[in-house]
Amino acid sequence: MYRIRFHGRGGQGIKTAGRILGTAFFLEGYEVQDAPRYGAERRGAPIFSYVRASRGAIRERGIIAKPDLIVVADETLLQIPAAGVLAGAGEKAVMILCTSEGVEVWKERLRFNGPLLALPAPSEGEDPLKFRYISAACVGAAARVVGVISRDSLLEAISSEVSEFGASAVEMNRQVALEHYEAAAAHEGLVTEAENVPPGAAEKPHWIDLPFEDARTSAPVIHGSTTSALVKTGLWRTFRPVIDPSHCKGCWWVCSTFCPEGAITVSEDGHPVVDYDHCKGCMICVTQCTSHAIRAVPEHEDAQAANEGGVS
Amino acid sequence: MKRALLTGNGSAAWGARLAQIDYLPAFPITPQTEIIETLGKWIDTGEMNCRMVTLESEHSMLTAAGTAAATGVRVFAATSSQGFLYAMEMLYTVAGWRVPFVLVNVSRGLSAPITLEPDHNDILAARDSGFLQIHCSTCQEVLDSVLMAYRLAEHANVRLPVIVNLDGFYLSFTREPVEIPHAGLAKEFVGPYAPQGMTFRAGSPVSQAVAVLGGSPYSYFRYETHLAAQNGVSAFSEIALEFEQAFGRRQDAVEAYCMEDAELAFVMIGSFATKAKDAVDRLRKAGWAIGLLRPRLLRPFPMELIRKALAGKLGVAVVDQNLSVGKGGVLFTELASALYGMEGAPLLLSFIGGLGGRDISPEEFFEMAAVTRKAVEEGKAPPPRLLYTEEELREVRKLQAIAHVERRELEAGR
Amino acid sequence: MNETRFQRKKDLPSTHLLGTGTPMCAGCGGLEALHQIYDILGERTVFVNAAGCMTLLATYPFTPFRGSWLYTSMASAAAGAQGVRDGLDILLAKGEIGSEEDLQVVVLAGDGSSYGMGLSATSSAIERGLDFIYICYDNEGYGNTGQQFSDATPHGARTATSTGPRGFPGFKKDLFAIWAAHKPTYIATVLGSEPLDLARKVEKAKSLTGPRFILALAPCPTGWDYDPKDTVEIGKLAVKTGVWPLKEFLEGKVVHTHIPRVRVPVEEYLKTQGRFAHLFRPERNEAMIAEIQGMVDAYWASVS
Repeated sequence: MYRIRFHGRGGQGIKTAGRILGTAFFLEGYEVQDAPRYGAERRGAPIFSYVRASRGAIRERGIIAKPDLIVVADETLLQIPAAGVLAGAGEKAVMILCTSEGVEVWKERLRFNGPLLALPAPSEGEDPLKFRYISAACVGAAARVVGVISRDSLLEAISSEVSEFGASAVEMNRQVALEHYEAAAAHEGLVTEAENVPPGAAEKPHWIDLPFEDARTSAPVIHGSTTSALVKTGLWRTFRPVIDPSHCKGCWWVCSTFCPEGAITVSEDGHPVVDYDHCKGCMICVTQCTSHAIRAVPEHEDAQAANEGGVS
Repeated sequence: MKRALLTGNGSAAWGARLAQIDYLPAFPITPQTEIIETLGKWIDTGEMNCRMVTLESEHSMLTAAGTAAATGVRVFAATSSQGFLYAMEMLYTVAGWRVPFVLVNVSRGLSAPITLEPDHNDILAARDSGFLQIHCSTCQEVLDSVLMAYRLAEHANVRLPVIVNLDGFYLSFTREPVEIPHAGLAKEFVGPYAPQGMTFRAGSPVSQAVAVLGGSPYSYFRYETHLAAQNGVSAFSEIALEFEQAFGRRQDAVEAYCMEDAELAFVMIGSFATKAKDAVDRLRKAGWAIGLLRPRLLRPFPMELIRKALAGKLGVAVVDQNLSVGKGGVLFTELASALYGMEGAPLLLSFIGGLGGRDISPEEFFEMAAVTRKAVEEGKAPPPRLLYTEEELREVRKLQAIAHVERRELEAGR
Repeated sequence: MNETRFQRKKDLPSTHLLGTGTPMCAGCGGLEALHQIYDILGERTVFVNAAGCMTLLATYPFTPFRGSWLYTSMASAAAGAQGVRDGLDILLAKGEIGSEEDLQVVVLAGDGSSYGMGLSATSSAIERGLDFIYICYDNEGYGNTGQQFSDATPHGARTATSTGPRGFPGFKKDLFAIWAAHKPTYIATVLGSEPLDLARKVEKAKSLTGPRFILALAPCPTGWDYDPKDTVEIGKLAVKTGVWPLKEFLEGKVVHTHIPRVRVPVEEYLKTQGRFAHLFRPERNEAMIAEIQGMVDAYWASVS
């Protein structure tokens, strides 16, 4: 059985990517399971989808614990432990990563031993959330790396999954997917189907007898305030707003009031300060700043941007 | 202590009054309405210091009951049947909040067809909700159970809402002599309301009833609720002992009547159990070794007590005043699972009776005993039996004729 | 409005009470309004929530609130507020808590609950004169489930359950008028794009007792299909085009707090959002654009 996980952010077409690959497998005569998985969080938040494909019936269900192939549409996800991109990746797992950096850099950084293929990330200054065909690129490469999906099946799968977005969307997705399908030719069949762990070799679950705890402890109650600040929603961001202090006129009541997150605080001397731990990158402040003192800067330029803005 | 003639509804109201309730969210429904009317009158005359609010539905009523309990006051509410089902979302919800309060349900058959008289499908629909359930067979028990229910709900090892159930008409509108405990003694027994950390106060922020994501925390919260409910069996036994010391009446989690030397037994809940008791007396006089086992506590399910009481018995007639459509009697199923695999487990027979208030006669109890004895002799239980006579079907045929059910359809149905 | 402490935009709060790190979408117009409202209401509040997007604000173990919170159900938040208010009043009357421990009880609900499932419980709470503030964040659809149409969806909008060429065939329910018919203490329409107007109204609501309603239009990038950066601009256009009248109800009278003297054509608002894109592409649907403009014009004609 092939077990494939796509990781991305809400809005990047990760669910569609899973469905395209699932349909492509299906067209090749495989039994298939595909599903998206997302939590409470929304656009910009990490999500994933997964695909299983097998010549026989598929009885596994739910999240894929041990993937054969991990496809990552957004390299910034790798900084987020909660995104679980590497979870369960064994020695033979293959990774496809959209990145602006080199393969070796990532292999070293992630201590990832398996084969790692880089896809070009959105070009500089381009918001990955708006790079509409990133999922098509991922699917094209994934289909080739798996090695059992023909061009025709891939294209037909795209047509059937993307048709609701219109003919031009289908055309663009097919074009991008095919480009990456061809580019990955050298890696055809790189992904192997993992063998199932026999029961004797399986790790025993460490079951416990759940102890009784009285309702003061065991009711779904939060005894405190603003604990949400522990959630770093800044990780959703693909662009960051950077305030140029030389242009900022200090009218904080505009940006600080309009920021839905309350992520623009006001310093003692009356200047707005962005809380990058929590700013989700909606860019309302950029559009509303009357003196045009706030710029949208791509996250991968963040080190430089932080220096400019003087705040991180 | 004084003895007076009280209806089941009146007894429930007295229980709430003696428990010194602070808050009464209300909504009328037959056959429960007398409870809120009685309490409302006492509030109007100043005999009770309680705030009563009539909501626009039982769903809202249960919500207000839960949120008031979460704010830190003692709450009482009452409903029945369709209203109980209308509130069902909130029954599950407030149990999950772990708020202790008492809800009286006056059992009444469920629609459709809509009817007024009792059976237990309403209350049993909440079997898995997290509310604990006490089932009453007399008006006295209704009053006593309400007092005990507050102790059970507010027990630190439990902290869950409790339903006290009584049958419509057979108890709700039926007067019986009831001993009304002295207010001071009752107050002492129930004790002051201890919110156990459930409060909303400026200066101590708290978020209650919040969402969770993922199966692991959800499993934890739900299973802790289950463990707390299970603690209810031993908690109830402690409370029953204290209650007996205070008032001289023993209301055990499971009532065993003439069970010691019994070979056969009836098992049932609710007010019709007194009819079974009567049948037991009469059968015993005729030489039968028979008894009655009546779970007063149905949630938590007093499994060990029931197993102990039925070990070594030969045959048990489970009389269900409910119907799990497509399965059969709910109590029968519960009992079968409790006794499965037990050494010396009795033969179990299923009888469905008393649906929609249909009476069960003494003769029918005798016959159930006879069928049970025969099954024991033959070593084989017959299929479930609906208590329904030829005469009854004849009466229904007359109704069908008036309802213009076509002759040939009637014949086909024969 | 002379007594307001919000004379100029500078008077708006410079510190924010609502915590960061919520799971709401980037650019959420509802969250924008809520954080502005919360700054005025303050932390001596208990929010009683109905099922909707904002139910996930408090997801164990995270809450953005400095005060208290309780989630109820989709249908019965107003009844939940009744229980909390009564509980507090009982404890105050018994002397078990002092007035310094009292809280403002606030319902927080979306349009799905407010315009539909929760309306019965709300109607009866207003009728009982419940002392509470009801906040509705109105994003004009069942947003938390993917923007199906609700009773608050405007005519012609495309939603997940109105995907045809004419969009939603129904009309947005007039919840302001439904509340007004109950004669509550106070009603106001607000939105996060007009923070000064919002602050004054919330300040006023806070100073009163009885049933009070803050109806906030909540531009929704996900459900309305636009770039999150445009939330404030779209909100401003809702006011300038007259689609979202800023008004209040007090002592039986409706007063508009802002009357757009020259109204921008409604299509300027419609064309900012993907949910109305079918009115412009593949070709302009003049009839529907005119129909929507006609409804806005008729509203303003009826109130001037």
